[in-house]
Amino acid sequence: MSDRTTTSELHAMLAETTAQVIARTRGDFASDWALITEAGLDRLMLTEAEGGFGGGWPEAALVLRLAGASALALPLGEVMLARRLAAQAGFDDARLPLIGASAAGRLSADGLFTGTLPSVPWGRHASHVLAVCDGRLMQLDCASARIVWGENPAGEPRDTLHCDRAPAETAPAIALFANGALLRVLQAVGALTAARDLSVSYVNTRQQFGRALANFQAVQQLLSQFAVEVAAVEAAASGAVAAAALGDAGFEIAAAKLRTNLAIGLCTAAAHQVHGAIGFTADYALHPLTRRLWSWRSEFGHDGHWADQLASWSLSHGAEGFWPVLAARGDSVAAQY
Amino acid sequence: MQDGYPHRRLQARWLFFYGLSIMSIFASAPEPMSADPVTLRAQVRALVAQACPDNDAVRRANCWAVADAGFSRALGQVGFIGMIWPKAYGGHERPPMERYLVLEELLSAGAPVGAHWIADRQTGPLLLKHGNENQKQRWLPAIARGEAFACIGMSEPGAGSDLASVRTRGTRTPEGWRINGQKLWTSGAHHAHLMIALVRTDPDSQRNAGLSQMLIDMRTPGITVRPVIDLVGQHDFNEVFFDDVLLPPDALIGREGGGWQLVTAELSLERSGPERYLSSFALFVEMLRATGVDAPTEVRALIGRTAAELWTLRQMSWTVAAKLARGEDPALEAAIVKDLGNSFEQALPVAVQALLAVDLASAAPLARVLGRLLQVSPSFSLRGGTREILRGIIARGLGLR
Repeated sequence: MSDRTTTSELHAMLAETTAQVIARTRGDFASDWALITEAGLDRLMLTEAEGGFGGGWPEAALVLRLAGASALALPLGEVMLARRLAAQAGFDDARLPLIGASAAGRLSADGLFTGTLPSVPWGRHASHVLAVCDGRLMQLDCASARIVWGENPAGEPRDTLHCDRAPAETAPAIALFANGALLRVLQAVGALTAARDLSVSYVNTRQQFGRALANFQAVQQLLSQFAVEVAAVEAAASGAVAAAALGDAGFEIAAAKLRTNLAIGLCTAAAHQVHGAIGFTADYALHPLTRRLWSWRSEFGHDGHWADQLASWSLSHGAEGFWPVLAARGDSVAAQY
Repeated sequence: MQDGYPHRRLQARWLFFYGLSIMSIFASAPEPMSADPVTLRAQVRALVAQACPDNDAVRRANCWAVADAGFSRALGQVGFIGMIWPKAYGGHERPPMERYLVLEELLSAGAPVGAHWIADRQTGPLLLKHGNENQKQRWLPAIARGEAFACIGMSEPGAGSDLASVRTRGTRTPEGWRINGQKLWTSGAHHAHLMIALVRTDPDSQRNAGLSQMLIDMRTPGITVRPVIDLVGQHDFNEVFFDDVLLPPDALIGREGGGWQLVTAELSLERSGPERYLSSFALFVEMLRATGVDAPTEVRALIGRTAAELWTLRQMSWTVAAKLARGEDPALEAAIVKDLGNSFEQALPVAVQALLAVDLASAAPLARVLGRLLQVSPSFSLRGGTREILRGIIARGLGLR
């Protein structure tokens, strides 16, 4: 995609398609998911030969930001990613593949998994789940799995699958967990942006003491901090997407997820603070964003997880190596343009 | 599931435009370089290693406030000052991102770049854009050689954050201009060869009208520079007095009464560079040196968090540099970079102090660089625009005022 005009036209079309699909969702999984598959969005990251759009992480970022901004309650990112990873591994094209952040159990040499997949997003709807176990990537057939329903604080399904000798296709392990973290980062960019804009529009409208809340310096300073944090997450997400397009994005995704997690703390607090009581009501549009953000902070790596990974990375390069390696990674990402 | 949240039923059209509008202002769209970055970085590192052997940790901290005329000349000789300026004025016509690369290498290595920093970052570009031919010929080649240093005459006793309260007077005379008044907190005035000063040229004007920028040769009679020693005993600040200082007619930069526009146009250059987040980098380096892989979880968490913040800020600063390279004026983005960068470089010393048992009286590099940064880091969110001013700008950018 060397022609920038063409790329931006494609992106505009993709944004339009995504927006139309999201606007038609009504909260029923079967019919909403049918809208996604009819538009082919779940196959966005497959090549054209695989029946997809040939989209990469930049296109996924666009779609997931929109999904995050509209608090879309569907496993769009998860299925999009599962299909891409399955295709790369040479697995069969599954009806509805999802991803599991972790798998506790054993994968036998002949490809039978016995154990538990905790908190699989929309696991109750999965035909298959991709997860990493015993150093291998598996696409697990969940027809025989016993499913215990659960949900995260945002009310999104997070189901636990118990498997006894469930059949799986296998391939060498890949960085599934980090890919999942990047999904959450991209959704969070959208949700944080939408929460910021909702907050700005609220304080510009709401009057107290005879003037708009936006006129109070304390409110301005808080929302400025909010906006600065959102900008940091935008930059981090953009950097991680650029690195992921190159392949080895372990460090960048770790840094982006941790930076996003940190921003979620300040931004959700600020959004609720400026909204006052109205932001706490079921009818108001803030909580679908903030409750998802609180949930996503824990999913695919809480702060401590990624901070520890980054500490190992930093200490392994040491006082003299940290900067040169950081700069060299940036240079190799910049060189692809 | 209990879905059907009200905002989900948004109009597709609105969502579409919203989707395009949230394409980030911090999306990376890198600018080209012609040099191989690996080679260019190696060249800068070799130069610093050769010119500053055994560079002390305290000197590496906040190093763009550390002046070393010899080092600046050495940089000038290899073409690392005025890198993007026209060759006709002593510059080197290199792509802007190569300059950014050199700057971040110098700062991360803790090189003493303070003598020429302001001239290269602000004064030179201002003269190139708005100076007259005489000013450009007179000063730019000397700046690019690392031989002429500049200071910024903005703040005054009654004009700090409220810069529009400037009272220093510039009066037209038959021979040119007469300057009377006082500047304060002028960094590096004691080794500067020139100052660009904001003065009031219309005595009846109010606020930001009637202000002009003047190029002042610091050897002009009537100028007195007095040191203002800072809290660690160092001499960076000065007060500068102008007592009937006579300037030639062409000392005026740009248009008479157009000084405010020139000042605000400098802000993007002033606020988004790598110096806005790397001032405490030497402390992170010493922390890495002093920490083993078996460090306590809290220390590892701080190291990991710092790595994430550094990488993110580098992304942001680099993105703004690319916008500047394309000729945009990303003033809002620059304010965001400076606010976040300053908060980061201020928080690090405090966090390190809280987690590591450091004897601040010891001669160990970690202890001394920590002791220094604890004391000087409060200035990071004052210089170049206070945190409160920046957040006001960001609020306006959000549409809040």
